[in-house]
Amino acid sequence: MTQPLLELRGVRAAYGTIEVLHGIDLVVLPGQVVALLGPNGAGKTTTLAVASGQLEPTSGQLMVAGRDVTGISPDELARRGLTTIPEGKGIFPNLTVRENLVMATYAGVSLSKVEEVAYGQFPRLKERRTQVAGTMSGGEQQMLAMARGLAVEPAVLLLDELSMGLAPLVVEELYGIVAQIARTGTSILVVEQFARTVLGVADLAAIMVNGTIRQVGPPAEVERELSAAYLGG
Amino acid sequence: MTNEDPTIPAGVDTARVAQFRDEIDSLKLKGGSAEGEKRLLALGVVLMVVGLVLAIYGAIEVGLQGDFPAQQRAYTAQGSLLGIAFVIVGGALFVRYSLARYLRFWLIRSSYEERANADRIVAAIEHAAGPLDAPVQREITGVPAAPNQLP
Repeated sequence: MTQPLLELRGVRAAYGTIEVLHGIDLVVLPGQVVALLGPNGAGKTTTLAVASGQLEPTSGQLMVAGRDVTGISPDELARRGLTTIPEGKGIFPNLTVRENLVMATYAGVSLSKVEEVAYGQFPRLKERRTQVAGTMSGGEQQMLAMARGLAVEPAVLLLDELSMGLAPLVVEELYGIVAQIARTGTSILVVEQFARTVLGVADLAAIMVNGTIRQVGPPAEVERELSAAYLGG
Repeated sequence: MTNEDPTIPAGVDTARVAQFRDEIDSLKLKGGSAEGEKRLLALGVVLMVVGLVLAIYGAIEVGLQGDFPAQQRAYTAQGSLLGIAFVIVGGALFVRYSLARYLRFWLIRSSYEERANADRIVAAIEHAAGPLDAPVQREITGVPAAPNQLP
């Protein structure tokens, strides 16, 4: 049996005294796309924060590549290939596109390699490489955020609210790229509040409500339960 | 990955995934750095307090042992000098780790403000001239471009 690349076992997490995750179990296999869906405040972003090592769980285990790495620092995980693309376009808006890509060389990848991957995946960024990133459209900014994450050849990719504030056509385009990335064998855990588009590229979907996972299953099956979860049914 | 057209099916380790597993296996795990920083910051404060108490105690005893130069030297060395050394080391730890925390928060705050500012500027430009990613119509027939489009 294949060992999961990413696994949360009975994870509980809190901000101060307020517990927001009440025992999360989640498994991501190599090359699998798992969609974590749920209404605002369900704990989806906190789950990603635990998975990326940014938030240490109060109990439970974070397993990466079969090893218990609970309490590991996020930069250790990022350097080895667990990449997070945060909510709200994690870019430096006052830097140019190229300067933003320079920031991706932290992991020891050369700038030429970063640019090759970024411009290969998103040719539009090449046309805009001298433009200040904050003046690009929302979709292009999200592409830049993804390009920076992909440049380090992640083994596991964590995507937070890729669709936030973007037009449906742009969201569709971005998820097309996510599907391409998944075909290369990268494991992807994607968190979304609204976009059903993600269900088209996911192998497995989970609904999260009030800090617990309510349902896990094939996307088609989970989609039927979505409305009830959002409306508190 | 769509189930209809998988190039590499889910559950299969690629070379990259195998490399990732190896790297995670060879990781030397230690506790979260935030906990370590908090402990060192607290140690700095404790050292400063202990050092200050020792230094004051040493100075008082040196004063009280006016007729015994040997004991004065002992109190100076063990009390005052050791106390001052504790204060210096504790102060250095305190400055190092409180500064790191401050600078980290400052960097996050600065990034957040820059992003908010850029969004505000873009919104203002779009409000004045139309969406930045709208199709650009250049003036080709002597008729000026519509006011909501960029030249």
